[in-house]
Amino acid sequence: MSKKTDQYFKGIPMKPYDLIKEGLIVFVAITILVFILAIIFSSPDYPPVKAKEIATYEPVAYLQTFADILQGKSEISNYGPPYDYDKENEQNIFGIAPASILGVTIPINAINDFVIGPLSHLAVIDKNVSKALEEFKDASPQQRTLWIDAYANALNSAKVVSGQVQVSNGDYGPVSVMMNGLLELGKSGLLDASIQSGETPYSFYTLNFTKPLLLFQGKIYHSVARSLDMLGEDWGISNETGNYPGAWWLWPYTFWYQIPPFSTSPNGDLEVGLIMIALFLVLLFLPFIPVLNKIPRWTKIYKTIWRDWYKNKN
Amino acid sequence: MNLTRKTQEIIRDNMSMEDLLPTKMPVYVNSFAYIFGVITLSALGFVILTGIILAAFGPQWYHFSNAGHFVNSLHFWGVQIFFAGLISHLITKFFMAAWRDGRWKTWALGIIAFGISVFEAYTGYLSQTNWDSQWISVQAKDAMNALGIGGFFNALDTAQTLTLHVIVIPVILIIFVAIHLLVVRSDGPVKPISDKKDMKSER
Repeated sequence: MSKKTDQYFKGIPMKPYDLIKEGLIVFVAITILVFILAIIFSSPDYPPVKAKEIATYEPVAYLQTFADILQGKSEISNYGPPYDYDKENEQNIFGIAPASILGVTIPINAINDFVIGPLSHLAVIDKNVSKALEEFKDASPQQRTLWIDAYANALNSAKVVSGQVQVSNGDYGPVSVMMNGLLELGKSGLLDASIQSGETPYSFYTLNFTKPLLLFQGKIYHSVARSLDMLGEDWGISNETGNYPGAWWLWPYTFWYQIPPFSTSPNGDLEVGLIMIALFLVLLFLPFIPVLNKIPRWTKIYKTIWRDWYKNKN
Repeated sequence: MNLTRKTQEIIRDNMSMEDLLPTKMPVYVNSFAYIFGVITLSALGFVILTGIILAAFGPQWYHFSNAGHFVNSLHFWGVQIFFAGLISHLITKFFMAAWRDGRWKTWALGIIAFGISVFEAYTGYLSQTNWDSQWISVQAKDAMNALGIGGFFNALDTAQTLTLHVIVIPVILIIFVAIHLLVVRSDGPVKPISDKKDMKSER
C-alpha cells in the first residue's frame, strides 16, 4: 500500500479480496439481467408524427396550425430568444432573462419559414399557388389580416369531405388557395423536407430538425402526447410511451411542474431550472453544509450498513 | 526540479499497485452497500458496449432491424440498471457520510459524474429519432431556452444531440468516472462512523 493508505488503515484488520473477480461476477450478473429484461419487455419505439399523417387524418387541425401562424397566435410566433427578438414571452426572474444573454442564435420567422417558404417550393409546379402567393405578398397588411381572420373563423366550422377541408363561402382572397396548397403539400409528404431545406449547398445534409419540430409543437403534439399520457401535468419528459419506466431519475425535476406556483407561472421553466441548479449545488457541497452533513449520524442508517463491524467491535 | 521524479513521488505516495488492484480490504468492507458502485460501473460498461454497436450501425438501424431493436432494448435496460445502481450508490454513500476523512473530493467528483450522466441520458432520449425524441425535445427546449442554454445547445438539432450523446459527453463522463475511481482507490474505503468525538471529521 501507499504511505497514505498504510497510515489510514493502521490497526484495522484486513481480509482477502479480489477486485477483478468481484467486478466480473457483477458484470456477468448484470448482463444476464439486462438480457432477460430486453427479451421480456423489449423497448419503446413509437414512430415520429409527420406532417403527412397530420394533414391526412387531422386536416382541420393541420390548417389551424398555419392559420395561427398567419395570425401571429402560434406558440412560435412571439417566442423570444433564441428564435426571435420578441421580449413579451421571455422568461425572467427579477427582470433578468438569461435567454437574452446570447440573444437570437436560431432565427425563426414563422410566416416565412412555415408558410411562404414551403408554398414558394410548391409554386414552381403549381401556377394557382404561384398566383395566390404573389397576390398575398402584394396585398397590404390590413388586407392580409382581413383575409386570414375570415379564413381562420371559417375553419372553426369547416367540414372534411373525402379528405378535403370545406369552409363556408367568404372573402378569403388568396388564403384559401394557399391553405389548400399547404394541405396538399402535407399530404404528399413533402412539407417536412420543404420546411427543412435551406439555401446553402450544405443544407443537402441537414440533420437539424428545429423548424419541422417547432411547427407542430403546439396543439398537434399536445394532442398526441395527451393520448399517450405524456403531458407536463403527467410528469412530462420523465415519461415514455407505453408501460416503460421512462427517465424516472428526472422525477425530482418534473415534480416542480406539478405544484403551484411553478405549474401556472409564466416563468415556470426558468424557476424550476434555477431550483434544480441550486439543489445540484447543495448536493455537490453537501459535505460542507451544516445540519445536512449531520443527517447520516442522526438517522443511524450506517449502523445497519456496518452492522458486522459494530457487532464485532462490541 | 525534475518533473518526472516529482510525478513518481506523487504516485508512490498516493497510489500503490495494491491500492489500484487490491487483494485485501479492511474487514468493515462487508455490506450490501458496497455493491452499488460496482453495479453502476458494470452497467456503464454494458451501456458503452451496446452504445458502440448502435453507433456503428447508425441512428436509424434499430427502427428497421430486429437485431438492432434488440440491441436498443439492451441499451435501454442497461441505462435503467445504471441509474438504479447510481442512485442507490449515492444514497448509501450519503448515509455512510462517505465524504469524511478528506473524501469530499470523491463525493464531489461522483456528484458531477451523476450530473453528466443525467445530461447523457437526456441527449440519448433526444437522439432516438422517434416520437419520444420529438415530444421530449420540444418540451425540454423551453427549459433550456429559459436558462439561456438554448442559445448554444439546441435540443431540436438531432445532429448536435447525437454527436453529444455518442462521443462528447461519454468522453467527459468516462474521464470523471476514471478520476473518481482513482481517488477512491488512492484514499481507500472510509472507516465506519465512530463515536461523537469523531464529529470533527464530518468532512
